[in-house]
Amino acid sequence: MFHKVPTFRNDPVFRTAPMYRRYFNASLLALLGAVLAPAQAVAQATPSPSDIIAASDNVKNPGQPFRVGLTLVEYKRGQAHDAVKLTVHSKFEGKGGQYKNLVRYTAPARDVGKLVLLNEGNMWFYDPASKASIRISAQQRLVGQASDGDVLTVNLARDYTPKLIDEPTIADADKQQRSTWHLDLVASTDSAMYAHLELWVEKETYRPIKAKFYSDSNRVLKLAFYRKYEEQLGGTRPTETIIVDAIDSNLVTKISYSDFRAEQVREEWFQRDYLPRFTED
Amino acid sequence: MRWCVAAVLSALATIRVGSAAAQGDEDLDLIPSEVLEDSTDGQAVEELAQPPLSSRLFLEDAFSLWSPSTSVPVAYPAELVSWQNRLSLDVNLRWKPWKTLVINFSDRLSAFAEQGNPILSSDTFRNALREGYVAWQPPADHTYFEAGRVNIRKGVGLGFNPTDFFKTRTLVGQASLDPSVLRQNRLGTLLLRWQAIWSGGSASIAFAPKVADSPDLSNGEPGRFDPRFDATNDAFRLLCSIGFDVWDLNPEILAYFELGRSKLGLNLSRPVGDAVIAYAEWAGGPQSHLITRAIEYGQETGTLPPVAPIDPPNLSRKFRSDLVTGFSWTVATAVTLNIEYHYHQAGFSRANWRSWFDVGGAPEASPFLAAELWYLRAYASDQQEPISRHQLFLRAAWPRAFVTDLELTGFAFVSLLDGSVLSQVSASYYLSSVWTASAYASANLGDDRSERGSFPQRLNSILQLTRYF
Repeated sequence: MFHKVPTFRNDPVFRTAPMYRRYFNASLLALLGAVLAPAQAVAQATPSPSDIIAASDNVKNPGQPFRVGLTLVEYKRGQAHDAVKLTVHSKFEGKGGQYKNLVRYTAPARDVGKLVLLNEGNMWFYDPASKASIRISAQQRLVGQASDGDVLTVNLARDYTPKLIDEPTIADADKQQRSTWHLDLVASTDSAMYAHLELWVEKETYRPIKAKFYSDSNRVLKLAFYRKYEEQLGGTRPTETIIVDAIDSNLVTKISYSDFRAEQVREEWFQRDYLPRFTED
Repeated sequence: MRWCVAAVLSALATIRVGSAAAQGDEDLDLIPSEVLEDSTDGQAVEELAQPPLSSRLFLEDAFSLWSPSTSVPVAYPAELVSWQNRLSLDVNLRWKPWKTLVINFSDRLSAFAEQGNPILSSDTFRNALREGYVAWQPPADHTYFEAGRVNIRKGVGLGFNPTDFFKTRTLVGQASLDPSVLRQNRLGTLLLRWQAIWSGGSASIAFAPKVADSPDLSNGEPGRFDPRFDATNDAFRLLCSIGFDVWDLNPEILAYFELGRSKLGLNLSRPVGDAVIAYAEWAGGPQSHLITRAIEYGQETGTLPPVAPIDPPNLSRKFRSDLVTGFSWTVATAVTLNIEYHYHQAGFSRANWRSWFDVGGAPEASPFLAAELWYLRAYASDQQEPISRHQLFLRAAWPRAFVTDLELTGFAFVSLLDGSVLSQVSASYYLSSVWTASAYASANLGDDRSERGSFPQRLNSILQLTRYF
């Protein structure tokens, strides 16, 4: 059995991650073994949990600097309520293995121009009304139903230690059955957004299907479902995430991603002192 | 034999898959069908088309009510109103005609109605030109030049910012007493600024020329359409700053030069665990005591007579420090608390307060003496510096409190000299994406001979409605 791996050979993440090369070598061996001993080949072809997470990250995140528009619609008991619109500018930082993010609010009107900056674990919030840049903690990122932490581009492989739990077939948000790897991820760096999460990744495609996010006290905070996979910036990526509040399940937030664009993201954008002068080109 | 094992494994896998699928379906039941069917993709695409002109525009009405004045040990020198209504049109524009040039404009036009004033008078309309400047970036460069009225804000503290050197004399009418709200409507300074930003930090030099003489303190609110350059540019000033990252502290070092008021400053912040940000802000330099500076300023501007009835204390000019140290703590990913200690070495000591009350409360004290004593406090407020030497600042912000559209905020300044408190609680409710209703209630708590308890009006409430466009 040979799992189809997304084509990310030219992706910077792939280039900087020797584990992928190891994985391909292992896969070739597994293919050979499958001819000789099918039952053993199944065991050998299963990639390591780290490789699964890294490949899943590559499905979600373009490897090149990019911008994307987000629309967050909050539903209460199925009724659309608030809408927030954001533009996210992301750039992969090879040295740190993580993405730098700059998020700009474009709606509602009361929030226009507010910025959130994430750079190597440091997070700043800028309000153009008060001209104040305030440093915020990992916990403060999670305030709200769909928080800053949910809209940022992050590599889970960098911040979490994964463990394979089982390999269930589950229904995705559109009730299609998916054969998945079910992984448990525990935060391994201070910059991890959540203490721990569960992730279901589809075999064959490495698409994230579903996730459960936990607090420090091991309470389920929210569930996320990834759907509407489309071709964007060289890969098939989810363009919609549905987030269900685990405490008040009447609250659901839908994040729609649109207008992916590769762009020249300037390095100084990710400095706190640049925030007051940020304008999109 | 191998195929028998495979069949058993397959059967077991089927059972496990079945139970997992059931679990997955259970989670799926949490997604309402409306969410899956609703499509908002088109809206996002439309929003991403960035026009060269971006704006933030709102109309705001704030109705304020004060409790009746009470008798206080040092008589307040002016008649206090019991109600006021402010209607403001607030505009922020940013225009980028070329890739290297940005033009910024920020302004608030307000109409005031208050007890004792006719609806239409010379004081009805007041305009605050907060900013108007041009920013230019040479192509393919990491440097920036700005010229015009710019609002430069420095400091990591919430309740007091010793390194915010351009803050003095910049406040104009605002509903809330919350320091973070007060900063939303303050005047910028006429200046030239150069700034370089690179991947590891930034550096800047700002020069503000003197364009007018210092105004009288009584001219606290902008008159009509006066841009009030006399308030923001009454001295030559130079501010140099450099910021970088080392040990995750994000230090910013500042050097501020002004005749008789030069200072050095430092800002630091650092995460402690995943819920706390610790921060510190310090500024220090040769400086006179607050009382001495207030009397000198009053005499320079003609508000106080050349020979003041109260003698400034014998507090010579020497190196004095201001310090803010504190932390923010986010609890249960819901409420963020800030606790800060403020040290203002040039501020009132317990002895200064005793003297203030003893002199002003003496039976033979003249009304003019009381006015002069209150002038000291008005000066501290105008300079945006604490009047007491030691105080605590506490603040709690709870977005999505009880319901998703409600935000609750509360803060308190606590004098560590006499225990008196200025506190405020506020609630903002987002009626829709364009309407916000807010209510504020504040109180001065403490005995008559305390910093906060000596105000003649103890309670204040404000109702505010904002419409964004």
